Amino acid sequence: MAELYQRFFSRLPTCTVQLSVFDIQSRNLDPLTETYGLSFYTQYLAHWPEYFQVVESPSGEIMGYIMGKAEGHGDNWHGHVTALTVGPEYRRLGLAATLMNILEDVSEKKKAYFVDLFVRVSNKVAINMYKNLGYIVYRTVLEYYSGDPDEDAYDMRKACSRDVNKKSVVPLTHPVRPEDVD
Amino acid sequence: MAVRPQHMHDGGIVERRLRPIYDWLDNGNNKKALQEAEKVLKKSPTLQAARALKALALFRLGKGTEAHQVLDALAEEKPSDDNTLQAMTISYRESQQLHKVCALYENAVKSEPTSEELHSHLFMSYVRVGDYRAQQRAAMALFKFAPKNPYYFWAVMSIILQAKTSEDNTKRGILLALAQRMVDNFITENKMEAEQEARLYIMILELQEKWEDILKFIEGPLYSQLVPGSTAQASIPYLKKLGQWKRLNLVCKELLWDNQDRWDYYVPYFDSVFQLMKDNDDSSENSVDNTAEKCHEFICQLVESMTSGRTLRGPYLARLELWKRLSVDGDPTSILGSGLALCVQYLRVFANKPCAVPDLRPYLGMIPQKEREENCRDFLTCLGFDEKSEPDLADDIQRHISCLSIWRMVAAPLPADGALALAATLKGHYLRCLHRGLVTSNITEFCAVDSYGILAAHHYFYAGILQQSSAPVVEALCLLELVLHHSPANFHAKLLLVKLYHVLGNALAADSIYQRLEVKHIQLVSIGWLHCARLAPACAASRALQLLADTRAFLKHHGKDSVEHLTYAYKYGTFEKLVELGAWGARLEACGWGAAAARDQALLHQLAGPPALLHQPSRLPAVPADNRDLNVIVNFEPPQFQDEQLKTRTFDQEVSYLRLKDALVSAIALCIELADSRPVEEKKQHYDQLNACVDAFSAAMDKCRQMYAEKERISISAPFPSRIIAFVNSPVPYRELYGTALRLVGELAAGHTLAAQDLSTAAARMLPRALLDLTAELAVKGDPVWCMRDRLETLSNYLEFVGIITFLLGVCNELFAPTNAKKSKKKTNQSPDELKTSELLNKLNETVQDSITFLENILDGWPQYELPNDLEQTLANLSIDNKYQSPVESKLKNGRDDMITDVRNILKRKSKYLKTLLQ
Repeated sequence: MAELYQRFFSRLPTCTVQLSVFDIQSRNLDPLTETYGLSFYTQYLAHWPEYFQVVESPSGEIMGYIMGKAEGHGDNWHGHVTALTVGPEYRRLGLAATLMNILEDVSEKKKAYFVDLFVRVSNKVAINMYKNLGYIVYRTVLEYYSGDPDEDAYDMRKACSRDVNKKSVVPLTHPVRPEDVD
Repeated sequence: MAVRPQHMHDGGIVERRLRPIYDWLDNGNNKKALQEAEKVLKKSPTLQAARALKALALFRLGKGTEAHQVLDALAEEKPSDDNTLQAMTISYRESQQLHKVCALYENAVKSEPTSEELHSHLFMSYVRVGDYRAQQRAAMALFKFAPKNPYYFWAVMSIILQAKTSEDNTKRGILLALAQRMVDNFITENKMEAEQEARLYIMILELQEKWEDILKFIEGPLYSQLVPGSTAQASIPYLKKLGQWKRLNLVCKELLWDNQDRWDYYVPYFDSVFQLMKDNDDSSENSVDNTAEKCHEFICQLVESMTSGRTLRGPYLARLELWKRLSVDGDPTSILGSGLALCVQYLRVFANKPCAVPDLRPYLGMIPQKEREENCRDFLTCLGFDEKSEPDLADDIQRHISCLSIWRMVAAPLPADGALALAATLKGHYLRCLHRGLVTSNITEFCAVDSYGILAAHHYFYAGILQQSSAPVVEALCLLELVLHHSPANFHAKLLLVKLYHVLGNALAADSIYQRLEVKHIQLVSIGWLHCARLAPACAASRALQLLADTRAFLKHHGKDSVEHLTYAYKYGTFEKLVELGAWGARLEACGWGAAAARDQALLHQLAGPPALLHQPSRLPAVPADNRDLNVIVNFEPPQFQDEQLKTRTFDQEVSYLRLKDALVSAIALCIELADSRPVEEKKQHYDQLNACVDAFSAAMDKCRQMYAEKERISISAPFPSRIIAFVNSPVPYRELYGTALRLVGELAAGHTLAAQDLSTAAARMLPRALLDLTAELAVKGDPVWCMRDRLETLSNYLEFVGIITFLLGVCNELFAPTNAKKSKKKTNQSPDELKTSELLNKLNETVQDSITFLENILDGWPQYELPNDLEQTLANLSIDNKYQSPVESKLKNGRDDMITDVRNILKRKSKYLKTLLQ
């Protein structure tokens, strides 16, 4: 699927510091959307600028953004989605899919074996969207999100073209603890 | 950041011994870390790493002096072992002595001249202090014995930064030519490896404005090898620079065929079309769009090419953009039909998406006002709705809301009764949906139905403004609290609630909602204007001090972090980001609100803080940066109310206010300097500075009074009028009051007894008159709740003055009766002149106390929030469950009472303190 989209989604101009730190954060007013410290954003930007993409509306509003990274050794070399957010006014336009495709495209270029992400098990809307994009629940990570009470996460994955035999997306049968996630 | 280095070299005994110290430090238990370090040092007293860690623990325990003794001794030994150096680096970093890290590694590389790691640390140490020349030297040295690409490009980047900061054009040219030659060599030798290196090369060419060369490079094989598949996109800015409009036109068209939603391709496409039209390009090339007709044709083709599946907004918005651009100096109707019809068409297609409103907003202003207002109902009715429709499918509700919103954004503003009637209708829609279970929000998502309530609240606000009446605003508050109760994630409701509670002058009620916004990090700066800046003028001084401290802490913390981010950018070779990070750091460093917060905090501390010395803020930024986000509250007013100048005008006002406050803070700091025990002759310099400062303050007050005589319109989304307006236009003569009180300290310190006596008498005479002026300014005009906000601001200005004059009287006391002199002894030694001064100061002190009593009396008669009698009934009707109780009434009442109590306590403390000063 990622290969198919490659033709259609060339890369957006990468996110600037101004966009990531100021424009994104100043509007991140939903308390449940993780707002990380400035260092978190700038570190990602300095390390993986190609994995940090923003889509802007014609009037210059941020419609959504994605940030991620590439990590792992050997056949665990993969792209990871750290954050994906679409503003409430810009939902239902397919932006999340566009942004995910960009990240998959970058991961393909980096010759990753798969792309993965973590999502709250309660976030049905997001889980469905990822499933529609070709992701499967690879494993459950117990009490991954701290809170009251702690919440489990699904570790969802989608294989890249390099993983010809789709070895990376054979689901685990048992849940794991956060400390066992590398 | 973890103290432990990522790779411990010594796997043996040393590592085992150090491990517990690292553990304690990383866990934040510095006391244990210190004990552990002492233990290790008992066994091996010379172990450098243990001593470095001990110093770090000492530093973190607040024992800076001891820590630096250890560090200095270690530095003398010129250590070169990584553990020691890293620990020392952290200590120096945390104590802001970054230059010492450079010296440390300079010595280390001398003893181990071929260590790649030490050289790279040396490079980073120069990055932290911004010494670009030394960076270049270090990077080249490193590259010589470790010939890796990143090191080479570190050197190139260091040269670029020297060029960028060089004021000498010739030198700049030479440096850039050198940087380019270095990369050119690499290209010739086929050594380029990474995308970032290619981008760096483009950066060098850009700085030399070699657009042609950039284009050649981008279109060459190397670029497409390093950055595959992005040549066309990358060439856009340079085709524009070179004025190659035809090519630009073709490139953008090509890209748009495959990416119909990419606005960043439409914009240069339009630029090219309009430039070609201006140039009267009559080329016969069919494929180039050089007329409005061809451009329109192209957009129509894009619309038609969308087959099944999702309808994209891009081509539709492009048509609106074309209309807008053509309408600047002509009438596009003959080609595109009416702009109004195009907007309506857009709405018909996209009304079921929440983006319809923000998408259309920029284009509504292009329709002439008369046409807009006469046909406004077209927007409301284009999908078969009117204001009374009662849709109950989610998609239809969204459509209805989009139509209603755009209708209000183009229609003529309603008179008060019309606004109230519409608000009631919209409220009815919200309640109907609520009762029918159509509110589908959960804790993370809000829903379309909420927008009925939001839109209703806006109309209640309009009515409130027109009637100068609080009742509609209270209605809005009740409705919004209900919306928020059922839609806890709706930040639009939260922002409006904060704003509307402030409209009624109730900062603490606003604070109850502000806390639910969980404002953090940069938001403390970007929306500081919304709440934090309004706390002091609403007499919520104690809460203001807390939030100002949070804001300052954020900015300070970020300042420390930002140099570390630069080192990451080098580490990962993201050179573009280096420049951006630098610009971003500078923007926060120069933050206007940050500077204002520092001064507000210093001044407010005199009023409401525990007794302490003045926090002298760092110097004012030369050009303060406007980091406010003024678009955070959505606005539904028609285009004629959109105030293009709002951001710059209000920021100018804020900067003027900032400068006034800065002068005050500086003057107070000088008063403190003057109060020390030096002989009078040595104080001349500070005395002159104080007078100059007061003169500047007075002159600025006069100038600002002329500049800011006009009243500002109150809008739901914009900040309240700057505090400078009420301050400089007040009938209370603050210019004279502050000037006199400050000069009094100066004259006393300079030993000019007569002048001091005159000033003290003058101040004592001025105060009772000022109270009369204050009373006049505080008079209730109309609805006492509606004018609460203005009256509190008036009161707060006077309160702040009381805080400062009280503090200054304390300084006078110190000058006049040094604390070390015994009271009894002093009395007998006083000359008649001194007795007179003492008497006059006592008189002034008592006058200030009288002012405080006067203010306390004002508070006694401070109005209550009178809620309409039928509100209870209304509230009962609002709820769907019996458990919901509208919190508005109690928030307003408690907010007011807590504010009054806070002010009373402050006044009591001031009064008590003043009594201790009487001699």
